[in-house]
Amino acid sequence: MNRPTKLLNRKTAGYSSLITFAVLLLAWLSGFSSRLFAVIRFESIIHEFDPWFNYRATAYMVQNGFYNFLNWFDERAWYPLGRIVGGTVYPGLMITSGGIHWILHALNIPVHIRDICVFLAPVFSGLTSISTYLLTKELWSPGAGLFAASFIAIVPGYISRSVAGSYDNEGIAIFALQFTYYLWVKSVKTGSVFWSAMAAVFYFYMVSAWGGYVFIINLIPLHVFVLLCMGRYSPRLLTSYSTFYILGLLFSMQIPFVGFQPIRTSEHMAAMGVFALLMAVAFLKHLQTVLSKTEFKKLFIAGALIAAGIVFLMVVLATVLGVVAPWSGRFYSLWDTGYAKIHIPIIASVSEHQPTTWFSFFFDLHILVCAFPVGLWYCIKKINDERVFVVLYAISAVYFAGVMVRLMLTLTPVVCMLAGIAFSCLLEVYLKEDNTVSIPKADETDEPAVEKKNLYDKAGKMKRPRHDNSHEANGLGSNLKSVVIIAILLMLMMFAVHCTWVTSNAYSSPSIVLAFHNSHDNSRNILDDFREAYYWLSQNTADDARVMSWWDYGYQIAGMANRTTLVDNNTWNNSHIALVGKAMSSTEEKSYEIMTSLDVDYVLVIFGGVIGYSGDDINKFLWMVRIAEGEHPKDIRESDYFTDRGEFRIDAEGAPALLNCLMYKLSYYRFGELKLDYRGPSGYDRTRNAVIGNKNFDLTYLEEAYTSEHWLVRIYRVKKPHEFNRPALKKQERTISSPSFVSRKTIKRKKGYIKNRPVVVKGKRANKK
Amino acid sequence: MRFAWKSLAILAIFVVICLVQTDAQAKQKGAMTLTEKVQNLMDMNFKKSVLRFNGQKFKDYVKQGPKNYSMIVMLTALAPSRQCQICRVAHDEFTILANSYRFSQIYSNKLFFVMVDFDEGSDVFQSLRLNTAPVFMHFPAKGKPKTADTMDIHRTGFGAEALAKFVYERTDVQVRVFRPPNYAGTVALISLGALVAGILYIRRNNLEFLYNKDLWGVLAVLFCFLMISGQMWNHIRGPPLIHKSQNGGVAYIHGSSQGQLVIETYIVMFLNAMIVIGMILLTESGNQGDSKKRRLMAIAGIAFVAIFFSLLLSVFRSKAQGYPYSFLFK
Repeated sequence: MNRPTKLLNRKTAGYSSLITFAVLLLAWLSGFSSRLFAVIRFESIIHEFDPWFNYRATAYMVQNGFYNFLNWFDERAWYPLGRIVGGTVYPGLMITSGGIHWILHALNIPVHIRDICVFLAPVFSGLTSISTYLLTKELWSPGAGLFAASFIAIVPGYISRSVAGSYDNEGIAIFALQFTYYLWVKSVKTGSVFWSAMAAVFYFYMVSAWGGYVFIINLIPLHVFVLLCMGRYSPRLLTSYSTFYILGLLFSMQIPFVGFQPIRTSEHMAAMGVFALLMAVAFLKHLQTVLSKTEFKKLFIAGALIAAGIVFLMVVLATVLGVVAPWSGRFYSLWDTGYAKIHIPIIASVSEHQPTTWFSFFFDLHILVCAFPVGLWYCIKKINDERVFVVLYAISAVYFAGVMVRLMLTLTPVVCMLAGIAFSCLLEVYLKEDNTVSIPKADETDEPAVEKKNLYDKAGKMKRPRHDNSHEANGLGSNLKSVVIIAILLMLMMFAVHCTWVTSNAYSSPSIVLAFHNSHDNSRNILDDFREAYYWLSQNTADDARVMSWWDYGYQIAGMANRTTLVDNNTWNNSHIALVGKAMSSTEEKSYEIMTSLDVDYVLVIFGGVIGYSGDDINKFLWMVRIAEGEHPKDIRESDYFTDRGEFRIDAEGAPALLNCLMYKLSYYRFGELKLDYRGPSGYDRTRNAVIGNKNFDLTYLEEAYTSEHWLVRIYRVKKPHEFNRPALKKQERTISSPSFVSRKTIKRKKGYIKNRPVVVKGKRANKK
Repeated sequence: MRFAWKSLAILAIFVVICLVQTDAQAKQKGAMTLTEKVQNLMDMNFKKSVLRFNGQKFKDYVKQGPKNYSMIVMLTALAPSRQCQICRVAHDEFTILANSYRFSQIYSNKLFFVMVDFDEGSDVFQSLRLNTAPVFMHFPAKGKPKTADTMDIHRTGFGAEALAKFVYERTDVQVRVFRPPNYAGTVALISLGALVAGILYIRRNNLEFLYNKDLWGVLAVLFCFLMISGQMWNHIRGPPLIHKSQNGGVAYIHGSSQGQLVIETYIVMFLNAMIVIGMILLTESGNQGDSKKRRLMAIAGIAFVAIFFSLLLSVFRSKAQGYPYSFLFK
């Protein structure tokens, strides 16, 4: 607490680095601890869907070694196709946590791999804030860097992807992203091969960690290109970009999943084109030293235009000829925003691929979203080579975040940096003692207070600058200054409490375990149905049993129940998913054919009607129909599942196709008998607030195997062909009468009788003579 | 000019129809055979992709057997006196579909596109008990049309793609819709580019404004405002401008956190801009020499930031249920 006062007295380099260290440490600690809500409330558990696969893969790697992991063919997924995991996964995450596990075990610290996986993202958030500090320091000033580091430690836009237990690629990728950018900016500034080689190495790490590396390999060339357009070419740029591009290209091709994509797909062509362009410009610049001025000017413009034209034509030609693959649907939908909705329902069906409302911007970034245009403004006003980079970063990231909620993640770091710059500029003016120049240090002192969200600390500290300023009468009045400072600090404080509130309320639910407040006795109830059902699967079914469910639950079934699934969250095979969707949306009889052809043993559905859980399969059902319709337009029609008025209803007025489809039957089997209230009718669905329309039905081809406590998960066993009740036969048809056979068991001959016994005819041996 | 062509074309069609009619009436005496009918239809279709029928011909070709062809019929009211706006749009879409079918590989004598105008065949409307237009119906080769043979345009709309899907569902003929390419966007883009290039060329000796950082700064910040106020969401989802609430009032703010109204995004954009201006004023006040001006800027700046930020927060609060924090205002 008394550090700031001391600092104001004696300004030494030692203290400033101590403060930097302290702020970064506190940022790390507060960032780490604010991500622990889920662990404290529930337990150390892997969250959601994708993390379960990552965890399973990591566990496999730790058990079987790295090379076996790379060659791993997972026959438990995508039955009967299987999945080549080693070649279709970004291994950076698994290698990182596997490496930590290995080091800890080498030091004889026995930590279970699950705990490493759970706590990996919070630990990496600290590294992210350090690399954000470094990057902002390169771009602006150390003070702004400390602001940015503290912002990114607690900002909800980043916490949403990195809470403890959310073991996903993004958790480590944002660190890799920021650090690569830091190294890149450093290398542009210095023009040294060392820094750009380091940038390429971290780019390699990023490629191994997340598909979002495409953002780097397009943003850095864009930076170079804009610098060229602005006439800011320098030998430093040539050195750093050519080193980075060549090394980065070679490195990125080492990842099996990426392979030859960097030279074969359109997403990477910009980098190659800019490389060629940069070479052409460098060549022309070299000619400049040889030729006279007027000669050169003509040549330069013509040469640059021709070079650009040639590069562009080459790329177009290669795309047309099929050497270079065109933009993949996922990336294309970022430009043509209506594309995915029409052509790729499976992308459009994911809620995180929706566009972003202003509400989510404010929810995830709070005051930073209002402050970052200020930082952008000042970066443009005081432009230099590296600030061009941050401007481009901000503009592209804000566009992508507007198109897709998910890409809010890439916007968050740059918003933190620019808001840090804005606040640092602002407080520089107001915290400055008019006769001294202790600007950056002064804001640093305020930072840990915002950081720790310790309100008492803050009040104490806010007064101090006011006291110091009260001696000066010139310039801005000290009262005005203190009003401004207090107001700004109050807003930053609100940011801190907002972040904590959002983290605690919105981003800390593991979604495997559900919690709800009981309004009667104000107690907290835990619904552990998912794990209950998955555990049942793992204990009560054959080891090679095949479980059919909608793709959302594939990773969880594989991870927790260790059973074979048909489709999972790695949605690589649309037609297979469509087949499952077709099975779910056809009648029992028809889907039985599909299920037998796929060797399905169990069907798992999620049903929220008893407890009012809205993310269940009936609510997702229309997507199953749409995806199935995309592949089987003859058999499945979306319009059949709506009423004549175009409504999706599950009550008695619902469409007959819906009331008789497999998903409906499996969800509501025996539900018609269930009375949830004393007063209410039986079979009342709480999620959709309606009495179900098809109450009394029996299942012919399946039988109920297990239903979890709150009916959240229901598992059915698919009967074998000899088991189910075949259509009833009339009595006289039941015995098979065979007129050709007459029993010979008369009283006379009680001997046994073999049908079609070979008859030996005794006789003379034929004489050859 | 265009109108004249159109009326000329319609006149021509009438002449053709009259000719065909007399021709048909000649054969009316003994009901036409199947081959004759198909031949007539093919002849008519050769001239025009959408056949325009009146009541009599509708009876002959659509209602009466023998048939071995399916008919997609649009019942509409195109006369200006009927004031049916969507009929025109529907007619254009229908024509696009019919043209795509007429000039495609799969064109055959098994499927025809027909339209009946209310003013030419009101008896058709009566016999089908229709009192709305437009209506799209499918008349199968065999048997009477069922309920599913009437297209539900309230749900699917009447875009050519939706119509093609309807046709595919009913007749198994998959028509790939080929729209005459819309060059408007390209032309606009090219003319814009030409304009910019032209201005640059005219001012080629005075390109200083390209180095004007204020201009670029304003552009970049404006772009950020557009994005963070959710204009992209508006572009993709197309929400209404304002909402009429049940008790007759007008809502400017969407009640839930999932949606937003157009006017709301403008309000948010304004609030964001004001906060940014406030912060810039605050920061710039440090660079002013004049002490009085400095104070004024600082006071204005902090007032902007505090007031508009709290307004933004209260708008946010009204959308997020149970959000506990507020600043200055509730």
